[in-house]
Amino acid sequence: MTRPPTPADIAWNILTAAAEQYPDSPRATNWLAACVARLGEPIRIAVAGGVAAGKSALVNSVAGELIAPIEVGAGTGVCAWYRDGAEPAAAVCPPGGPPRPVPVARRDRRLHIDLRHWEAHQVARVLVDWPARGLRDLVLIDTPAAVDADWLAGQCDAVVYATPEPTADDLDLLRSTMDLGWPAAQVTTIMALSRADELGAGRIDALTSAKQIARRRRADPAVHAVCHNVIAVAGLLAATGRTLREDEFAALGALARTPKAELDAVLLSADRFVSADEPRVPMSRPARMELLDRFGVFGIRLASTLIRRGANTHATLAAQLVQRSGINELRESIGRYFLARADVLRARSALRGLGMVLRAEPRPAAAALAAEAEQAMIGTHDFAELRLLSSLQCGRLTLPGGLAESAERLVGGHGVGVAERLGLETEAPEAELRAAVFDRLGQWRAQSESPLLSTRQRAAARTVVRSCEGLLTDLAPTPAYN
Amino acid sequence: MAPSWLAVLDDTISACTAHSRPDLAHRLQRRRARLLDPRLRVLVVGLLNQGKSQLINALLNAPVCAVGDDLTTTAPTVVQHAESPAAALVTDSGARNGNPAIAGPAERVAVPIDEVTRQVSRRAEPNMAGRVVRAEIGIPRKLLADGLVLIDTPAISGETSTLGRMLAGADQADAVVFASAATAELSTVELELLTRLAATCPNIIVALTKIDLVPRWRQVAERNLARLASQRVAATLIPCSATLRLAAAKHGDTTINAESGFPELVNCLQHQVAAKSDEIAPRTVGVVCGAAIGELADGLKTALSAPLATRTPDAETQLELAQRAMDELRRHTGRCQTVLGDQVADLASDVEHDLRERTRRILREVDRVFDDADPRVVWESFEQWLRDSLTDAAEANLGWLVQRCQWVADRVIASFPNDVADAPADALLERMADPAEHVGDLDEPRLDPFSAGQKIFTGLRGSYGGVLMFGLITSLAGLPLINPISLGAGAAFGGKSIKDESEARLKRRQGTAKATAQRHVDDFFLACGKESKDLTRQVQRILRDHITERAEDLAERIAAGSRLARQTAQAAAVEREQHRQRVATQLRSLVDLHRRAMTMAGQRLGGTPSSLELSA
Repeated sequence: MTRPPTPADIAWNILTAAAEQYPDSPRATNWLAACVARLGEPIRIAVAGGVAAGKSALVNSVAGELIAPIEVGAGTGVCAWYRDGAEPAAAVCPPGGPPRPVPVARRDRRLHIDLRHWEAHQVARVLVDWPARGLRDLVLIDTPAAVDADWLAGQCDAVVYATPEPTADDLDLLRSTMDLGWPAAQVTTIMALSRADELGAGRIDALTSAKQIARRRRADPAVHAVCHNVIAVAGLLAATGRTLREDEFAALGALARTPKAELDAVLLSADRFVSADEPRVPMSRPARMELLDRFGVFGIRLASTLIRRGANTHATLAAQLVQRSGINELRESIGRYFLARADVLRARSALRGLGMVLRAEPRPAAAALAAEAEQAMIGTHDFAELRLLSSLQCGRLTLPGGLAESAERLVGGHGVGVAERLGLETEAPEAELRAAVFDRLGQWRAQSESPLLSTRQRAAARTVVRSCEGLLTDLAPTPAYN
Repeated sequence: MAPSWLAVLDDTISACTAHSRPDLAHRLQRRRARLLDPRLRVLVVGLLNQGKSQLINALLNAPVCAVGDDLTTTAPTVVQHAESPAAALVTDSGARNGNPAIAGPAERVAVPIDEVTRQVSRRAEPNMAGRVVRAEIGIPRKLLADGLVLIDTPAISGETSTLGRMLAGADQADAVVFASAATAELSTVELELLTRLAATCPNIIVALTKIDLVPRWRQVAERNLARLASQRVAATLIPCSATLRLAAAKHGDTTINAESGFPELVNCLQHQVAAKSDEIAPRTVGVVCGAAIGELADGLKTALSAPLATRTPDAETQLELAQRAMDELRRHTGRCQTVLGDQVADLASDVEHDLRERTRRILREVDRVFDDADPRVVWESFEQWLRDSLTDAAEANLGWLVQRCQWVADRVIASFPNDVADAPADALLERMADPAEHVGDLDEPRLDPFSAGQKIFTGLRGSYGGVLMFGLITSLAGLPLINPISLGAGAAFGGKSIKDESEARLKRRQGTAKATAQRHVDDFFLACGKESKDLTRQVQRILRDHITERAEDLAERIAAGSRLARQTAQAAAVEREQHRQRVATQLRSLVDLHRRAMTMAGQRLGGTPSSLELSA
């Protein structure tokens, strides 16, 4: 049985054919070659957001390493690409020039690159290779605050958008990113409500509250229309938790051993905690300052409480901090929405590159290829699923009753695994899964011919039916072979 | 004694009324009422989650405003002094009827003070008692007793409605406390808000909240101050921490209270209450009046500069147009004269040629006639015919001349810019002489007849030769000289002589007649040619005069037009100058007023005031 062509195959075929149309234009050929090369690279995920939105903390916590931010000159933010690499290495790419390697140092498990003698306009981006498990399947791009939608749509396959609170400007930016993509109006964003630890004056339950707010934002149609998911993340806590050091754990342990009332009094404010004449804290002032930088007031409060409640080993504390920070949910969402569909997202970005070549140097034969590409992509089921998902999210397509929820789940809106699509436990027995698939299949077959639905709704139902059929193949081998 | 700021404010209000800006006047009137009120209204504003409500709670040490992690405050809460705790909700009954656009009469419902925060902060809950416009809370506090009124507001989001409401609120407030959390520096949005606030309410306190959470809040405060300075926003920055203040109140710890930064805020507010009339009011009046006067002055300046832009081109265009018309006219006149000259020359030669052609045709006919006919016989009828032919020729020729003249006149007039209805040559042509006049009487030529005596004489002369010739010949034959033969021959010779003579005479007569006719026709040609030439010249002269006259006429008209335009422009300039002076006087008085406002405010603010210099 021949395998149906994957989106990457389609994109590869079309881009190679397009390159043949431009034998005389080195610029177009190079560009298309870069697009083809991109098909084989890890998915590019940009971390974008406004000033002080917590982008670097998000990068650190996703990568699990202290690698961001990188600053040039007198502290100007710069676009930094983080890739997984065997050895730490870094290169500066000047605008329009080849990368120039720069020395990298690793101090206190933190990345140090000295770019003080570079001017901000001399640096288009910084490429960093860093051995990190968190970067294995993806390239993380830490963006400066003033990044435009065009750049996001052109350079990245997906976006994690950090903001303390989604404002109208944020939503506008994400909407235009969507419209610039190809095919247009495709959601490729996860929103992270960063700085969740600063809520409610740093109360110990701030994160619970932040998660509630995230849920509320997710239900907001305006927000839901531009992103797959909204997740509250305490970036600082997550990054610290993933890189917790033994000495820090020891210091926190010492703090936790001081009486609670005393500690509360000391932790009333950051000033009090670091003030010189504080006999109750068994630490030097610089050490306290560093601890505060790493954890924040909220982090210290939470960590000491956790230790007091029994997280008394380094590993458990780190795990608890990470688990509470919300970074796991973010990573899971990245996995579910981006990595699981990396093939489709990459193909989409690569084909957008073809669109740009066509705009710059129009050729009739290549234009026909673009039309072909579009057709092929529409015919691909992965794209059909993504498009249906986007339509459902934006509200361009409505389905009556609980059908919308069911359709969103079945086409992979909550994850592309079989159990996730069916809304069952991951460990559910195969028989149960199979029964569920048949159940859904019957239900949606009926919908696809239902006279009560509009043509578009029936088309959507047919897409769902195909997804269900795909699930059946995924469930093979059949019981007969078992 | 009325304070000086009141005088400035009243003057500005009357200036606004004088410049027909009742809206500004109305706003200033309301401001005046507020400023005369001894209470100090302090608006607490800020973006979402900056700790506005908590700031008020911590100030008063009472949970009067709802505090939460998400958007909590949904309606303004007015907190003021009262002997005993009391609370009320003001609702809009119009909204309850399903039409929020029509603001119905406000209803005031007393609610228990413990309930009020819940009522204000309830979210999506359907409105049971209409839309809550605001909550009013009275509590006994020493801080409020002096007349301080604190107003908690919903968070400002990017939407224009909340922004507008905030600015409208600031318009009616004496001071603004802008809450900005120390976790981040002032953002661009916040700075823009502050700039706009400073234009309506100049007494701004930026409260840097949540300093307990941030170890490096001092740096943030410094950067914020720098940013405020760069935006020229005059504001006091007070770092504070509501958490510390509440903790201090709980434990009764004065050190923590001091650390919270609130004592400074309280002092600042108390000072402002006490100094409302002496400091706050003048400064507010200075800024508000300055802005209002600036607006008035802008209107005046527009009025001042608008005609300036159009005046110069107007007169210049007029002059230029006149000049161009003159040039055009001159060119046309020249062209007309040339056309006329050419046409008339053509016409003269054509007409002459025509006349010659016609007379020649007649002469040929005359020749033909007199080649055969005997003038003596046909003269009578010939004379009649010649007269008729010549009259016809003259008529035709002159008729053609008239047509051509008219055509030329039309051409010439048509080539003239402005249409001239009357055809000047017509009258002349009508006056033209009757063509028959040129055909004079034809003198009958001397056509001597061949009389009988002459015939006999000629016959005898011819017969003499014959008789003699044949008599001699026959005498040889012995016949007498006079014999029948010689007599016969004499008779034949005589007959021949008569015939010859008669033919010669006919020829002579014909020649005479032809010559006579020729002479006659030549005379006619001369007379007629002279006549048509005269006519042509006259027509030419008339047309030339006409053109000159028209050109002068038009030139006069153009000159009159441009003269009028110049006069109008001059009159307008005079009027404009008067208007400008009037406006300048008004502007000067406004500038005076502005200076008073500024001096009183004791400060000079950048922006509009400095641009209020007299451009004249």
